[in-house]
Amino acid sequence: MSDVAAQTPRDTRSAGRFLYVAGVVFLVAWVLVPLYFLLINTLSSPDAVNSFPKSFIPEFDMGSLQFFAGFEGMLGALWNSAVVAAITMVISITISAPAGYALSRFHFPGKYLFRLLILLTRAFPLPLLALPLAVMFIRTGLDDTVFGLALVHTTLAIPFAVLITYSLFSGIPMELEEAAWTLGCTRVTAFTKVILPLILPGIAASAIFAFVISWNEVFAAAVLTIENRTLTAFLLQNLDTSPLHLKFAGGFILVVPALIFIFAVRKYLFAMWGIANR
Amino acid sequence: MTLKMKLAGAASGLAIVVAATAAQADVLFWSTQAKPVEESQAMRDQVLSGHSEAVDYQPNDAGPWITRLQAELEAGTGTIAVLGGLHGDFSAMNPDDLVDLDDLGVMAASGTFNDLAKLGTDAMQYIPWMQASYIMAANKEALQYLPDGADINALSYDQLIEWTANVHEAVGEPKFGFPAGPKGLKHRFFQGYLYPSYTNGVVRTFASDDAVVAWEKMKELWAHTNPASTNFAFLQEQLLNGDAWIAFDHTSRLAAAFNERPDDFVAFPAPAGPTGRGFMPVLAGVAIPKTAPDMEAAKALVQYMLDPATQIATLKATNFFPVVDVELPSDLPPSVQAAGNAVAIMSASPDANPGLLPAGLGDKGGDFSRVYSDTFERIVLAGQDIRTVLDDQKKTLAAIMEESGAPCWAPDAPSEGACPVE
Repeated sequence: MSDVAAQTPRDTRSAGRFLYVAGVVFLVAWVLVPLYFLLINTLSSPDAVNSFPKSFIPEFDMGSLQFFAGFEGMLGALWNSAVVAAITMVISITISAPAGYALSRFHFPGKYLFRLLILLTRAFPLPLLALPLAVMFIRTGLDDTVFGLALVHTTLAIPFAVLITYSLFSGIPMELEEAAWTLGCTRVTAFTKVILPLILPGIAASAIFAFVISWNEVFAAAVLTIENRTLTAFLLQNLDTSPLHLKFAGGFILVVPALIFIFAVRKYLFAMWGIANR
Repeated sequence: MTLKMKLAGAASGLAIVVAATAAQADVLFWSTQAKPVEESQAMRDQVLSGHSEAVDYQPNDAGPWITRLQAELEAGTGTIAVLGGLHGDFSAMNPDDLVDLDDLGVMAASGTFNDLAKLGTDAMQYIPWMQASYIMAANKEALQYLPDGADINALSYDQLIEWTANVHEAVGEPKFGFPAGPKGLKHRFFQGYLYPSYTNGVVRTFASDDAVVAWEKMKELWAHTNPASTNFAFLQEQLLNGDAWIAFDHTSRLAAAFNERPDDFVAFPAPAGPTGRGFMPVLAGVAIPKTAPDMEAAKALVQYMLDPATQIATLKATNFFPVVDVELPSDLPPSVQAAGNAVAIMSASPDANPGLLPAGLGDKGGDFSRVYSDTFERIVLAGQDIRTVLDDQKKTLAAIMEESGAPCWAPDAPSEGACPVE
């Protein structure tokens, strides 16, 4: 009797542990296996890319990557992509963080309408918006500038950034701020000394969102820029009609900078999850 | 401190951007053609580098291509100097937005092409730039299964079906490849190949009894077609990876197969039906929008594109053939030789029944093609009754023809006014 009682929890525990490990392995494979295949095929000769079954060891054929190394305008486009994404990040955070703070701390008429309306920028497909936008940009001189494109991407990123910062601010008790005020802080210093350090990881997360949205956007970039094309506008449209080995190499080139960026800011993300678990 | 540094970094980034937006004066060539990265690269390095002025060649998807152009037309100022596109891209536009090009002194050798380029007006709205067609290609492995007595250069549809059936039986899986994917050009097969070969028409004969026979043959062919064809759009990929042994597609969408493994594949003409060997051309053109920033530079570029030497360079870069009379050199890539041969045999065959591109449909060109794609999906994929589907789709087609007022084009017999669906 006591035997059974002692054994069951241990069994459950090891079964749970097995499930946990299996889950982790599955999720990691979910992300890494496609990336690994992308890498293998990027480093394979056209023959190997078209053959089946695939080898798990890359043959380090640099042909596909060499083609892109000589592809005119790649570096410029990469630079433009990075600059547009950086500006998008900065502007969308500058606008969204105060908006999120206001939504969570103040009550004002039209607050709920505002929360709904801000999502509307995502309700219309870009191909529909691009024409009037392009006409306006040409007339105002914003056309074919990295800054103009960043404004469009900011519009796309703001709904996410506002909603993320709003929920982050809401997760921080008002009492913390009130305590700071009683200890001599003004509204501003209470924000910068108490709230900001807590919120920074979350800001980083919404910045990553803004970065990725800008990095992945094609249609507006293709219509609104000519000389100053972003990497996606420059490459992605052409890849779907390219031979398979160049599709893989081009995809690899599009993915790697975004991966490097996310890797570089990962500690802020982990910190945010720390908050969420608290 | 880190926050301040980030802000400083962002500010300096902005400063660099503002400084970097100084205008450049390259002639902008805004195109829907030569989109694959290798072709764009070849257009820049081998074709346009020979022009006296620097050219910025930008290939685009059709969506951004037309949106950008419309924006410039609406704003009244533009950066696009020269447009490159298919006949269908231009015929969907308002001819008033394009500059008349009669005074350039260049045109195609084919009078038919030059007439098409007028888009229903009195003057050339675009200049024919390059042409292609659709052909068949096969893996040499498949040749041993050719039906007895069949000549690969003079196949009939029945022989093609028998051949694909033989391969199916011998290998155990269907090996015919058909570009029925979302980006595939299947509608061109029906408009330019199947219908002309069985009904000697495209519009007039859409719902005829001959058309019922044609669709029955299509269903027979589909039985030996790789079912994954509904995802295929560039048959060169399936030829190279072995998913398809026999394939139909656009010459430039088969090119990589011949260029990568020239000894493994053969190109041959499309098959023939009871009313001949139907086939149709693909025509691309260059035009100048009325908002072009420097009209003289734009016109010079159009003239340069029609130069015989440029046309040969373009052929090597894109697998699209010249539209002017040129002496073809002997050092052409394998894909060009194979496709050129197949097209030549196809045009010279005694039962040749060449069709023309749909003309006069204006912005209804997409709807027109959709009628044929929908008919295919309902009859072949969904297995609906052929007669019912044709009678049903006939109404849509008749409405499109009446609304656009387009007269018949070959192989349909000429019409007074809009081409009737009989």
